[in-house]
Amino acid sequence: MNAHSTTSAAALHMSGVSRSFGNRPALKNVSLNVPSGAFVVLLGAAGAGKTTTLRIAAGLEDTDEGSVLLNGVDADGLQPKDRDVAMIFDNLALYPNKTGYENVSNPLKVRNVPRDAIDQRVHAVAGTLRIGHVLKRLPKTMSGGERQRVALGRALVREPKLFLLDEPLSSLDAMLRVELRTELKRLQQEHGYSFLLATPDFQEALAVADTIVMLVDGEVRQVASPQDIYDAPADRDVARFVGAPEINLIPATACATMSDRRLDLLGASFITAPGFADIDGEFEAGIRPEHIRIEHPNNSAIRAEVLDIEPLGMRSAVTLKASEIQLRATLSAAKAQAFSRGATVGVELALDRVLAFDRSTGRRID
Amino acid sequence: MTQPKLELVALRKEYDGGDVVAVDGIDLTVERGETVALLGPSGCGKSTTLNMIVGLEEPTAGDIHIDGRSVIGLAPGKRNIGLVFQDYAVFTHMTVAKNLSFGLEIGGLPRSEITRRVGEAAELLGLSSLLKEKAAYLGGSQLQRVAIGRTLVTQPAILLLDEPLSNLEAEARQAMRRELRRLQGKIGLTIIYVTHDQTEALSLADRIAVMSAGKIRQYDRTSTVYGDPAHVFVAGFIGSPSMNLVRGEIRRDGPAISFISDQLQVPLPSRFAGVAPGHGEPVIFGIRPENIMITRPGHPGVTGIVSSVEPRGPEAIVTVRSGNKSLDVVVPAADRPARGDEVVLRIPADHIVLFSGETDRNLSLSPILGAAA
Repeated sequence: MNAHSTTSAAALHMSGVSRSFGNRPALKNVSLNVPSGAFVVLLGAAGAGKTTTLRIAAGLEDTDEGSVLLNGVDADGLQPKDRDVAMIFDNLALYPNKTGYENVSNPLKVRNVPRDAIDQRVHAVAGTLRIGHVLKRLPKTMSGGERQRVALGRALVREPKLFLLDEPLSSLDAMLRVELRTELKRLQQEHGYSFLLATPDFQEALAVADTIVMLVDGEVRQVASPQDIYDAPADRDVARFVGAPEINLIPATACATMSDRRLDLLGASFITAPGFADIDGEFEAGIRPEHIRIEHPNNSAIRAEVLDIEPLGMRSAVTLKASEIQLRATLSAAKAQAFSRGATVGVELALDRVLAFDRSTGRRID
Repeated sequence: MTQPKLELVALRKEYDGGDVVAVDGIDLTVERGETVALLGPSGCGKSTTLNMIVGLEEPTAGDIHIDGRSVIGLAPGKRNIGLVFQDYAVFTHMTVAKNLSFGLEIGGLPRSEITRRVGEAAELLGLSSLLKEKAAYLGGSQLQRVAIGRTLVTQPAILLLDEPLSNLEAEARQAMRRELRRLQGKIGLTIIYVTHDQTEALSLADRIAVMSAGKIRQYDRTSTVYGDPAHVFVAGFIGSPSMNLVRGEIRRDGPAISFISDQLQVPLPSRFAGVAPGHGEPVIFGIRPENIMITRPGHPGVTGIVSSVEPRGPEAIVTVRSGNKSLDVVVPAADRPARGDEVVLRIPADHIVLFSGETDRNLSLSPILGAAA
């Protein structure tokens, strides 16, 4: 649609975007990049600024500061309809009195695309989304997943340069959600579409994203690949948001002795792994639940009481209390069967996997 | 002999004069103090079942017993069932205390008794310090606790929770699950929990009834439903990622037995010799993604190419394409291969499950050893 765009330009590039509503800042100096053909996820809690970011990209909202480029072209002053983006919301509005076919074909019809071309395009999209069987039916006779795919089809039929998806899966049940996110990923990989998807669900983000942009209180806290955001979160907030059960945060002290470095936490002392070389004094140790092992109490420096065992299928989540601090550990369901509520157990920490956070700023210390 | 708290007997619900069967003759027994999850996807019949238990819909056939007595025809208010929805329906202009006491006041209970019950429920749910707060200022999980509290004060025989956590964000949902588990232990109430979310069912239920197409496909203890699925639907529905399920057929060559589906061929252990159908008969082969091991080329096993790697945090889901079949494997994040890598999959014989290609039922009579890796 846009003759001046080049294939190398990012589908979306936002730079230093700020936006306030009244005196409440919604976005603070947000910069992000959606390379052409990439799947970028905006991850954040409710109120983090995800929807505002998408609306700005779509041209439905103005910026106070900053620039928005679409395919390398400044979007300032471009009307939403001229932006060649498709926005899909959670509450998918299909025309209730139109069939699947009429819903999908509508964007082309209003653009006066010839009937044959429309027909060809709708059937191609229906094939991709596996909705051929509902093209003749009204939305009320379709399942939730079918309706969602028809809404997606209506966006796909135009072949926009960028898809903006605002929690498109959150109203679906668990099974459909997994099915449709796989579908979105496939569309990206096989057709080279560009996606910016907003979600509060970190599992969804990890599953589909090439790059995750983590928003906290209107600020970009981290931009990283899914595995990096999990393994090396920029700060405590990101670490807590990504991962279930949540990362354990434990007061700890590192100090140099005559010959070694020592790490004190949960009432025990350890000669430390090299990762703590730069820390001297108190900090917050972040330990993922899968990096805590439960042992016989005689074999460990740390003892704990088992407070709760939650079966989750492949794994179980065990809540422990050690030195008045609650810890959560995950272990295979088979291993968890060996322990019962109220038992005293030993706790082993994978010290080389411990993350260190500054107590006051929350930033991760490398 | 103790009586079951709730019994559903051949319960059936039809609409449009029998054209649509929402609930197709289900039987279910819930013991006193037990938590049972009705689990299934949208449209499986779980909400209709719930509505019939509560009395919002009349069954077409079958019976519902609470404490041994049929409640068919009894008005919803007379069944002594506490119902909590996902939409909390808390009165936001009232204080927490008023929300909790409101129903009892209308019922004309003495003041002292109301105060006692409200105090108890608030204590139990961690709402004591919030009693004077306006509900409008509460967050989602607090509202849900108020909704549960308002039901508990009426001292119901059965507590029915209909997708109670759906409106909460991930973190609040985890916390609320722990809260509900703690509550179960303390009050010993009989709870029916309706959900489409397998994590909630696994986390909270003593037993799970897995439903699809109006039928209960399996009703068993939580660990059994996961480790020994009775029906192919259960195998596919419970577990994340789902169990790998491949349609194919049995090949018998003397005493040797194997599964074959196009180019994919897997030798089967002798325990299947007696239960599997004959040569050429259709079966569905099942193996959980966490039970497959990825090894390097050159090792014996199923050779394939990694077609996708989906990180999940502690682990990654690796999809391996072998011929025209795909198998998912869960590996620790640190051990994950790259897209395009050639790998060999080792499928441990102990963990293989076979389902009939005709009835979709689990062919093995003996339980699978060691459900999880």
